[in-house]
Amino acid sequence: MSYQIYQTDKAGLAQFYENIIGKNETYAPVLNFEKYEYKKVSKLADCNPESPIVLTMSMKPLFFPKNSAILKYKESSEGTEIIPDAEDDLAKKRVVLGVKHCDARALQVLDKVYQWDYHDEDYRKRRENTLIISTRCEKAGAHCFCTSLDYDVENSDAYDVMVVKAADGNYYLQAHTDKGDAFLKENTGKLAANDGIEKIKEQYTAFAASFALKMNYEEVSKRLNEQFDSSEFENATSNCISCNTCSFICPTCHCFKISDEKIKDKGIRYKAYDSCNSPYFTLMAGGHNPRPVKYRRWRQRAMHKFVYYKERFDVNLCVGCGKCAISCPVNIHIFDVVNQVANKA
Amino acid sequence: MEQLLVPMLCRVEKVISETPDVNTFRLRIKDENQLQQFNWRPGQFVEFSLLGYGECTFCIASSPTRKGTFDCSIKKAGSVTADIHSLIEEGMDVGIRGPFGNWFPYDEMKGKNLLFIGGGIGLAPLRSLIQYCIDNRGDYKDITILYGARSSADLVYKEELKEWQANPSIKLVLTIDRPEDNWNDNVGVVPKILEEVVKPSIENTKVITCGPPIMIKYTLLSLDKLGFEPKNVITTLEMKMQCGLGKCGRCNIGHTYVCKDGPVFTYEQLKALPDEF
Repeated sequence: MSYQIYQTDKAGLAQFYENIIGKNETYAPVLNFEKYEYKKVSKLADCNPESPIVLTMSMKPLFFPKNSAILKYKESSEGTEIIPDAEDDLAKKRVVLGVKHCDARALQVLDKVYQWDYHDEDYRKRRENTLIISTRCEKAGAHCFCTSLDYDVENSDAYDVMVVKAADGNYYLQAHTDKGDAFLKENTGKLAANDGIEKIKEQYTAFAASFALKMNYEEVSKRLNEQFDSSEFENATSNCISCNTCSFICPTCHCFKISDEKIKDKGIRYKAYDSCNSPYFTLMAGGHNPRPVKYRRWRQRAMHKFVYYKERFDVNLCVGCGKCAISCPVNIHIFDVVNQVANKA
Repeated sequence: MEQLLVPMLCRVEKVISETPDVNTFRLRIKDENQLQQFNWRPGQFVEFSLLGYGECTFCIASSPTRKGTFDCSIKKAGSVTADIHSLIEEGMDVGIRGPFGNWFPYDEMKGKNLLFIGGGIGLAPLRSLIQYCIDNRGDYKDITILYGARSSADLVYKEELKEWQANPSIKLVLTIDRPEDNWNDNVGVVPKILEEVVKPSIENTKVITCGPPIMIKYTLLSLDKLGFEPKNVITTLEMKMQCGLGKCGRCNIGHTYVCKDGPVFTYEQLKALPDEF
């Protein structure tokens, strides 16, 4: 990577963030009932770009809203009139601060499904108009396993700018994309000394050593594919209460449903998150359901994350953020599920 | 993507009652530009909406050679289809998105004998291709249609079946599951009639089949017994779909999106999918 590295101290970084917030529509980690979410902020004091824990909610809702209107319609004696519900602020530039690497990586993974064949233009515009400034994690959370997957966390281009707090107390800012490079040139001052790159490396080494969870990704993916008929899927997921929280909170789960609501002669059609863990997800008219039992739905979830999406789009669908485990009411972690199935003799 | 999810308005020109629980809806796209651009191929499907009640997936049951209008034959099976049956009248507006999915390989089938095997409402997607082949009759060799239903009342497209019966360039074999008064045709389930009455030759023949899962299961076994290679047996898959765009994830089987890679698959392709059915 040939991008220049800039250096600043705590006060300088705060100034850098304040300037961004002052000039742009900005989102950043906001603490809300002991949980961090990316929220719109108007001053630095409202947020914490160095949130110490994995965020409960990812950036997904900023690009793929929980629900969005597709159209409104009106009926009369003349027939039906459809009014498409176009969002008008897609062209607005946005900056997201304090982004965790996993949340940024998740968008790269989602890009694949949204940009094949039919393209999701709304998603693309939101992506294009958003600059992502990531803060590199100081240490791994208890459920994190991003370094065990199929991509290079250290040299990622999932975000435009990376902020690293080095052991010497200084902050180093490095662009990871051309867009980030141009942004830094415009918005920062002091170039780092020659050893900046070393400081960043040292920090990464310490971070990478802090992971409690590790797995051999290729091996697990291959074994899962071989274990399609294994009863271990059932054993590993028997506690699941099918609440779908894992899907809604997952930064890469993207299944949705389309629903209608009608009051008298007017109505609305909207798109909302759905989950393959729901018993109704594949239930067909007439009562046939190819995944009528819980373990088969879980098998689809695990295999989609670790096998199918990779076969189709050449990236793993799970980014190893551990959000599903943090929010699961019965403490199921997809890491444990796939490893338990893969390690079954 | 929201724009891609907005349906085109269609006027319901005709509602034809086929059986006690199947109606055919003949639709015309209202906007002239949209009508001109609506070019489908036999085997493709649409998302059909009754605004306020929901959107469902149905195949287009008529051939693109008969343009202007198109047909959807809908069986009353779930909540939205029940609403469709009870609420839609001639002259009303409904929504359509599409056409979506792949199609029957009708070019590859040129110069071949075609054997259509349909059961119940499964004749709907086949009808699009049958009409297409009749309208391009010179391109195809022998055309045989084996069609069965539970009872004579459950046979769809009764008027058209008479036309096919009278057409000297097609062989139509009808069957019902149980004997009935005044029924002089075959009695017995489709796979049985296939083996005992139709007795098709595998020579230069493509089989196109669609029907209820239980019929498909035993028909595939019979075709195997008769010596048909899986690559020469084509079917259209039933799977819950919603967006039709390869996004909503509902129709995933393995890495396949049935709405994009299907719904038309050869038996050979189906065998390569994870065994979820």
